[in-house]
Amino acid sequence: MSVRTAPHPVRSPFARIAAALLIAVGLASGSVAAQPTAGPGAQIELESTVFDVGRQLRCPTCVSESVAGSNSAIATEMRSEIRELLQEGRTEREILALYRERYGDWILLEPPREGIHLWVWALPAIALAAGVGGLALLMVRWTRASRAAEREEPLDPDARRRVREALEESA
Amino acid sequence: MTRIVLIIAVTGALGGLFLYGLLRGEPDRDIRSARLDRPAPTFELPLYARYQAEFGPTFSSAEALGERPMVVNFWASWCGPCYEEAPELQEAWRRHGDEVQFVGVQTQDRGKRTEGRAFIDQFDLGFPNVIDDDSRLGIEYGLFGVPETFFVRSDGTVMYKHAGPVSLDDLETRIAELTAP
Amino acid sequence: MPLSLGELGGAALLLALAFSAWGLVGGAIGAIRRDPRLLTSARMAAFATFLAMTAAIAIMEVALLTDDFSVSYVADTSRVGSPLWVKVVTLWAALEGSLLLWGWLLSGYWALLASVAPNTPLRPWALTTMAGVQLFFVLVPALIAPPFLIVEPVPLDGPGPNPLLQNHWMMAVHPVLMYLGFVGLTVPFSYAMAALITKRPGSEWMASTRRWTLLGWGFLTAANVTGGWWSYEVLGWGGYWAWDPVENVAIMPWLTATAFVHSVQVQERRRMLKAWNLLLIVLTFSLTLLGTFLIRSGVVSSVHAFGDGPVGPYFLAFFVLVMFLSLSLLALRWDQVRDRADLDHPVSREGAFLGTNLLFLALTFAVLLGTLFPLIVEAVSGARVTVGAPFFDQATLPLWMGVLALMGIGPLLPWRRAPDQTLFRNLAWMTGAAVATAAVAAAVGMRGVYPLLTVALAAWNLASLALLLTGALAARLRARRQSVVQAVRRYAHENKRRFGSMIVHFGVVMMAVAIMASSAYRVDEQIRIDLGGSTEWYGYTLTAADRFMDATEARVRAGAVIDVHRDGRRVTTLTPTINVFAGQSMSVPTPDVLYRPLYDIYLNVAANIGPDQEFVVLRAVRSPLVTWIWVAGVVMAIGTVYALTPSAGAARETRTSKTEERAQA
Repeated sequence: MSVRTAPHPVRSPFARIAAALLIAVGLASGSVAAQPTAGPGAQIELESTVFDVGRQLRCPTCVSESVAGSNSAIATEMRSEIRELLQEGRTEREILALYRERYGDWILLEPPREGIHLWVWALPAIALAAGVGGLALLMVRWTRASRAAEREEPLDPDARRRVREALEESA
Repeated sequence: MTRIVLIIAVTGALGGLFLYGLLRGEPDRDIRSARLDRPAPTFELPLYARYQAEFGPTFSSAEALGERPMVVNFWASWCGPCYEEAPELQEAWRRHGDEVQFVGVQTQDRGKRTEGRAFIDQFDLGFPNVIDDDSRLGIEYGLFGVPETFFVRSDGTVMYKHAGPVSLDDLETRIAELTAP
Repeated sequence: MPLSLGELGGAALLLALAFSAWGLVGGAIGAIRRDPRLLTSARMAAFATFLAMTAAIAIMEVALLTDDFSVSYVADTSRVGSPLWVKVVTLWAALEGSLLLWGWLLSGYWALLASVAPNTPLRPWALTTMAGVQLFFVLVPALIAPPFLIVEPVPLDGPGPNPLLQNHWMMAVHPVLMYLGFVGLTVPFSYAMAALITKRPGSEWMASTRRWTLLGWGFLTAANVTGGWWSYEVLGWGGYWAWDPVENVAIMPWLTATAFVHSVQVQERRRMLKAWNLLLIVLTFSLTLLGTFLIRSGVVSSVHAFGDGPVGPYFLAFFVLVMFLSLSLLALRWDQVRDRADLDHPVSREGAFLGTNLLFLALTFAVLLGTLFPLIVEAVSGARVTVGAPFFDQATLPLWMGVLALMGIGPLLPWRRAPDQTLFRNLAWMTGAAVATAAVAAAVGMRGVYPLLTVALAAWNLASLALLLTGALAARLRARRQSVVQAVRRYAHENKRRFGSMIVHFGVVMMAVAIMASSAYRVDEQIRIDLGGSTEWYGYTLTAADRFMDATEARVRAGAVIDVHRDGRRVTTLTPTINVFAGQSMSVPTPDVLYRPLYDIYLNVAANIGPDQEFVVLRAVRSPLVTWIWVAGVVMAIGTVYALTPSAGAARETRTSKTEERAQA
């Protein structure tokens, strides 16, 4: 983040620039003042919901952070907006839909289960199913072959193992 | 043989994907706007003093729209590329200001008036510039950063979004599209 | 005229390049011709390379410590005013230096392997493969991303390292652990290649590298845990794992290495899964390269991105080459490595290991797909999409639960045999413990499928561990008259590997519960406190005593002074701070944490702190049990070290020193 300058009553020039930068991580004090005034229990619940919603939204100006995770000005402002929307009685789902309308699917950290995004949800499940199926098939084949081998060579299991190990050792 | 083919296919596919990623370079912020072909958010925001004689204390996009298309440019005083594109915007406004409504929005800037005024004065921007103190308008438009420029048709729908500094050529092309019958 | 440090360092790298090239060429020719003299000289190349790389590292450290800005890496990343420790670790604070470190650590492993590896038919090709990998990791710092370029005119000062990296001492630990893990896994990979080349794909290659594998795995585990703690301490959002691409590429080799550590036992005991194990180690090694490529090339965007250098295409080429060569070799030897039908019963130890393997592979696939999906979509359709933490949580949680479930059953199952009476009795105990715990948890108000499932599986695993231990001890206690403590100690001493694995599994259980609690029951709040005022927060009173701004030569800080009281007694004072380091434009937070066994209180500055401002805005996070994640990491490290220690008493000293090292990490 590069911030050009801001007047600030700090002494050295470096400190002045740095102070301006410090402000860059904050937000306009106006919206900080706009804090909910309900009781402490309700406030904590509201605040947690704000962050829960924020965790599902990607911060538009950050590199790879969520609105809940980032302390950038935009993320903080988005959290204030989410807080207001929640206070107006909007649901989580509605708020996410609102942001999707503005920013598109990109903003959703949880890919919607539709369109091209379906692949990212389906493929791991398909892969796991294929893995389980393949493994089951292999196990059936292996156990069957192992039993067939047992029938053919009525050696006791220990002797059979020793023979097999010896064979493989030499292979 | 089939195994080798399989291996070549897998490594080739992965390699190709990553090669594409390399050639594409760092993912930039030129992401298609979700607002395209849908109504642009309307706004009424405070104006810088030098425009108040003409428009009053605030600028209302709803009033300006209707007959004329609109070019909405988002900028911030700390943003380098914004200084690059400002003269181009001014020139485009000088040429097309009577057919197209230009408006600048100072956003993601914590309402820094002094810096904003200095920015406007530096380029002597003739089109109205409003202040988006809390960056809410930027969020409503779906801004990924500054500068971004939205081209809004006269019916209020977004025709195109340009991310990054916009050149006079870009502006000419898009404005021609906007004003085409 | 004396040579400059840059010239000396460059020369050392060129020497290392020549030596490792000889290690590869000489080793390969020697192995093909079975020429012992050539092989010995190629083996010597390992030591020579290590010496040259050590010289390069030493020269770089000297340059950093003496502020020799004529060396390009120093000019780009160091600063006169930085503290001493920052200068030392600046060696790996940026791309060129970190690859130099990687090359050095690799040469250390190579030289160590060359000196301790027994003279088996596998050794020549294993060392040759090491040399091949080493050649790449010398080529990169020597020619592609050179740290020793000479800068003229010599600048008076530099910008200093990335602020995020000089903000916490973890910088000195975590990256080194990560590289040690990556490098450690090169050894089993090399032996696997040797096994394929020499057509000896039996258990020999694994037996020779068992310790190396476990060591690499242990370092990777420690690296991931320390990385999480580092994030917690510096990133300022109160979490430790965000499923960021950098984190994903670090966890993927860990996942496949974990699968590998387990499935090698199947091959050792039952001589099955030969092809599978070879595939796993190839995959693990390829994933370490893939991860490095992804984060060093800027192909995926990450909050911890290292900045892109010129190395991207080379890492990509090396990745493709390694994948292609090793998989082709595997395909070529397929008839020797494919498994013969050999499973006696699916419900057996080997069956459980197969299931675990499947789950770890599925986890790897889900993480890989989620990480690459945006790139794939962009390549196919040009659209820009996001796959974030909620996806990874939902896609991986069921699999993690499966891993936990199998972790409880596996060790109780006998090899080969079908389930018997004891097993059913054990399962009954475990199920009872799981159900009872879940019921208690639900009764005290725990809700949600995953939290309840996690505590149930934790109980299931603890019961399993208890049954394992009592099962093993019962016989001893009956046979010999000894106290329980003596018996445990003796059992632990005689079964280092098994007991170590029990410690590790115990650590995993701890970590699972801690991760569940800290993510499912975490509370975030943005709070504003007027100066002098206070606010109640989860049993604590937070009082904003003061705020401060100060500037030193190295950085400017602004922060809040928050007195924390509980029941009228002062507990501590937290000073969450924001820093701007000299020479850098980015500001980095330093959150402050009150570590507590039940829940941490985590404070971070959330808005500007100005001299004329009569309030502070903080972000407060309360995450239950989060401390136990770090404790669990230490437990896992101790378990790994215990499993690694040789049975002889002579090794006791190295063991304790290693344990301490890990405990500090």
